[in-house]
Amino acid sequence: MHFWDFFSLIIENLNRRKGRVALTAIGVVIGTAAVVLLVSLATGLQKSATSNLWGINDLTRIEVYPNWGSGPMMMVNGVAESPSNIKMLTSAALTEIAAIDGVDKVIPRDYLNGSAMVKLGKLESWGNIMGVETASLEDLRYLVNEGTLELRRGTVIVGSWIPKNFYNPNMRPGEEPPEPPQMMDQRIKLVLSKWTEDGQEVKKTVTLQVAGTLQEMRNEADGTMYVSMTDLEAWNQWFNNGKRVNRNKDGYQNVIVQAVSPDVTVDVTNHINDLGFMAYSPQSTVEGINSFFVVLQIIFGGIGAIALLVAAIGIANTMTMAILERTREIGLMKAIGATNKDVLTIFLGEAAGIGFLGGLGGMLLGWGGSKVLNIVAMQFMAGQAEQGIVSNGISTVTPTWLLLFAIIFATLVGFLSGLYPALRAATLEPVMALKYE
Amino acid sequence: MRDLRKTFIMGRQKVHALAGIDLDIKKGSFTVIMGPSGSGKSTLLYLLGGLDRATSGEIHVDGFELEKMDENDLGLFRRKKVGFIFQSFNLISSMTAFQNVAFPMRFAGIPTKERHVRASSLLNQVGLSNRAQHRPTELSGGQQQRVAVARSLVNNPPLILADEPTGNLDTTSGYSIMKLLSRLNQEGRTVVVVTHDLRMRQFASEMIFLLDGMVVSEAEYDAAASFELQEKEAEELI
Repeated sequence: MHFWDFFSLIIENLNRRKGRVALTAIGVVIGTAAVVLLVSLATGLQKSATSNLWGINDLTRIEVYPNWGSGPMMMVNGVAESPSNIKMLTSAALTEIAAIDGVDKVIPRDYLNGSAMVKLGKLESWGNIMGVETASLEDLRYLVNEGTLELRRGTVIVGSWIPKNFYNPNMRPGEEPPEPPQMMDQRIKLVLSKWTEDGQEVKKTVTLQVAGTLQEMRNEADGTMYVSMTDLEAWNQWFNNGKRVNRNKDGYQNVIVQAVSPDVTVDVTNHINDLGFMAYSPQSTVEGINSFFVVLQIIFGGIGAIALLVAAIGIANTMTMAILERTREIGLMKAIGATNKDVLTIFLGEAAGIGFLGGLGGMLLGWGGSKVLNIVAMQFMAGQAEQGIVSNGISTVTPTWLLLFAIIFATLVGFLSGLYPALRAATLEPVMALKYE
Repeated sequence: MRDLRKTFIMGRQKVHALAGIDLDIKKGSFTVIMGPSGSGKSTLLYLLGGLDRATSGEIHVDGFELEKMDENDLGLFRRKKVGFIFQSFNLISSMTAFQNVAFPMRFAGIPTKERHVRASSLLNQVGLSNRAQHRPTELSGGQQQRVAVARSLVNNPPLILADEPTGNLDTTSGYSIMKLLSRLNQEGRTVVVVTHDLRMRQFASEMIFLLDGMVVSEAEYDAAASFELQEKEAEELI
C-alpha cells in the first residue's frame, strides 16, 4: 500500500466521523493552546525581565576590578602586611587577560581621584568623570546620540542623563528649575579642587569641548562624562601633587573586557576570576535569570501537558470505540488483502490525524490568545505609565519553534495514544472480526 | 488438504469443528460444500482462504503452504490468490458501490487510473454500471452481493471462496448470483461455495458433504439429513 493511499484512506475515515473527531480534537486543542500560551507567557516574562535590566549590547561586557585581597590584614613586626592574594590590574596583567580565549578587547579605565564641579554657563553640576584608554567609546559598545564617540584630548563625551543634573546655584525661591541644557558642541568648565596640608583650597579650571552625547543605555554610562585617559592622568597627577601613577605597580582602577560573543562571556569571566582578579559580568546574572525562566517554562509547559494527557486518553477512548464499531470492517480489510501492518498504519494514522488537527487548532488558539493577552497587557501598561510607572511592558513572546513543536507534539500524543487501540485492531483475528455483531 | 483439524475451546469443552479432513479440490472446479450449521463448513472455507489457522494439519493452495506462513504472508496470499464473498455482503456503508469494488486495490498498491478501469469494467460485468455511485443502503440485497462479487474479482484471484452467498437473498437474486459464480468458474477460476441451498448442486462439478467436522458420502449425508428432517417434523407435531 502506497503512502498516498494510506493518507487518503485515513482522511476519508476521519471525514466519516466528523463530529466525534472534532469533539476528540477539542481536548487536544485545549491542551496545545495551554502549552503554547503558558510557554509564550514565560518566554515573554523572561524577555522583559532581561531587557529591563540590561541593554543587549551589555551581554559581552565584563567588568574587572583589582583584587585588594581578602581576609584580615596581617601584622608583621608592627607593619601592616597585605594578604598575599592582592592582584593589581597592571600592564602585565592586562596582557595576561588579553591572551584569554574569547577576549575581544581590553579597555582600561580610571576615575578622577578628586572632586570636580562642572560648569555650563550659569549652571552647575557634579558629574562622575572617567578616563578611558581607547580611541573611541565604540569599543565599549556605547551608542552615539549626537557628535562622535572618538575620545580626544580636550573633549568630553557625556552620558544621556548628565544634562538633567544641572542646576542654577543662584535660583531664587519659587523660580522654576532650569530646563536641561543642550550640551552638544558647548564648552564646559571643569573646576578641580583639592586641599593643601594647611587646609587651603586650591582650584584648577580646565575647559572641555562636548564632542558627543550618548544614547540612553540604562547603565552607568548614562551618568558619566568620558574623557581621554591622557587628560585624566594629568588631572590625577595634579591631585596627587605631581606624582604620576605607576601602571606597572598600581595598575588601573577598572578594566572593561569585551568578550567576542555573549556565549563565551561567562567562561571568560570565570577565567579572569581564576587569574585572581574580581570580574563580574551582567551575563552571569542574565544566565542565572534565564535558567530560572527555563524552569518556569517547563512548569508552565507541564501544566499544559496535563491537559494534553487528558486529551490523549480521549483519543485512546475514541479509537477504542471506533475499533469496536468497525470490527467487521477490519475483518473485511484483512479478507481482501490488508496485512496487519496496513491495519496498524491506518488506525495509527487516524489517531495521529486527530492529534494533528487538535495541535493545529490549539496552535492557532494559543497563538491568538497570546496576541490578545499582549493587547490587554499593553493597555494595562499604558494605564500604569499614566500614573508615572515606567515599564517596557510584560507581554507574551511566541517563538516559531514553539508553534512547530506544539503541532509535532500534539501529533505525537495522538500517535502514542492510538498505539494500543491500533495494535488491537491489527491483531484482531479476521474470522472473529467478520462474525462480530 | 491433509488431516486438517481445527479445535475450538468453548468454556471448558473442546469443540472439534474439523476432526481430521483429507480433501483435494481440483483447479478449475466448482466445488460445493454442503452441511448443516455447525458441521464446520465455514471454518473449512476460511482455512482454505488463509483467513484462519488450523490447529494441526496441512493446507496447500496453489503451491503455498498456508500452515507455515506468518500473518503478513497470509495477508499477501489473500490479496493475490483469494476473493471472498460473504453471506452478509460486508460492504463498507460509507463507500459507493464503485469505491467498495476498488477498495482491495488500494492495499495492493495499484495505480489510481488502473483501479478506475478495473472497477468500472467489473461493475459492468455484474450488470451494475448504472449503480456505481450508489451506497450499499440504496441497493437491493442481490445488487449488494453482485458488488461483493465484483470486489472479490478485482485483484484477479484464481480462487473464489463464497460463504453462503445466497443465504440472505430471495430466490431470484440468489439464483442470479449462482449463475454469476458459475460464469466465473467457466472463465477458469476455481470456485468453492459453502451452502445449504440445494439448488447450488446443479452448478457444481464437485460435491463435498460435511457432518460434525468429517467428510461423509452423499448417502450418509442424505440419511442424516432425512433423519434430521424427521426429528424436526416430530418436534413440530409435539
